[in-house]
Amino acid sequence: MADTQTAPGTQRRRINSALWYGFLITLLGIAAEFLYFLRPPEPIPHILPWINLAVPVVGVIFLFIGVWRAFGQPAVYTGKIWGSAVTVLALLLLAGNVVLFRHTRDVPRSAGAPQVGQRVPEFILPDSSAQPTSLAQLFAASADGSQPKAVLLVFYRGYW
Amino acid sequence: MRPVAISVDPPEVSANLRRKARFTLTFLSDPNLEVIRRYDLVHVAAGPDGHDISRPAEFLIDRSNTVRWENFTEDVRVRPRAQEMLAVARNIQ
Repeated sequence: MADTQTAPGTQRRRINSALWYGFLITLLGIAAEFLYFLRPPEPIPHILPWINLAVPVVGVIFLFIGVWRAFGQPAVYTGKIWGSAVTVLALLLLAGNVVLFRHTRDVPRSAGAPQVGQRVPEFILPDSSAQPTSLAQLFAASADGSQPKAVLLVFYRGYW
Repeated sequence: MRPVAISVDPPEVSANLRRKARFTLTFLSDPNLEVIRRYDLVHVAAGPDGHDISRPAEFLIDRSNTVRWENFTEDVRVRPRAQEMLAVARNIQ
């Protein structure tokens, strides 16, 4: 797991590969946050939050091993300074991921929402032109004369 | 199938979003959470400044106002795929 650096007349010091693995895995953890935008195939989107949590943990573990080696065997392994700095950054990233994980999964259960097979309540709400629009009107024929068989109600958080 | 987006955003905010993103779907505004509350989708104090908003959810409704498909995500970053709802919509008579 380690290569050796050699120079004439000097003691051999090994490249601290645990630090490099930890650093690369941490970068992978950052990149994984953007996977949602690539619309990966099912069931990847559902396990992606857990991947985003696990990858930084693995990175931090490797970094801790590397820092432990660098400080415990400084004559053998490199990376005390940069390893320590990257480990702190990785810990901050991990903390941020934990906060993000909890925040994005903090959604109400909605046990009282209409279920499949149930009829939904009628409603009237203003559209983007402030015109009152009922659920029944949404099933009306459009300008090209086609009549929708179904309406997809997409409730979203807003404040965009 | 006709997609309709509903949120607490007032009509002018939805109109601005619709224009900027070049959406053609219908946007409805529920700033008082009347419909959102009736559908049990209120997310208390989850909006900026602690305002109540809607949690993400999707309902596919047929002409008899019956729910044929629905989705309640456990993580706001994870949304349903169009293929999934289109597959259900194709079977609606």
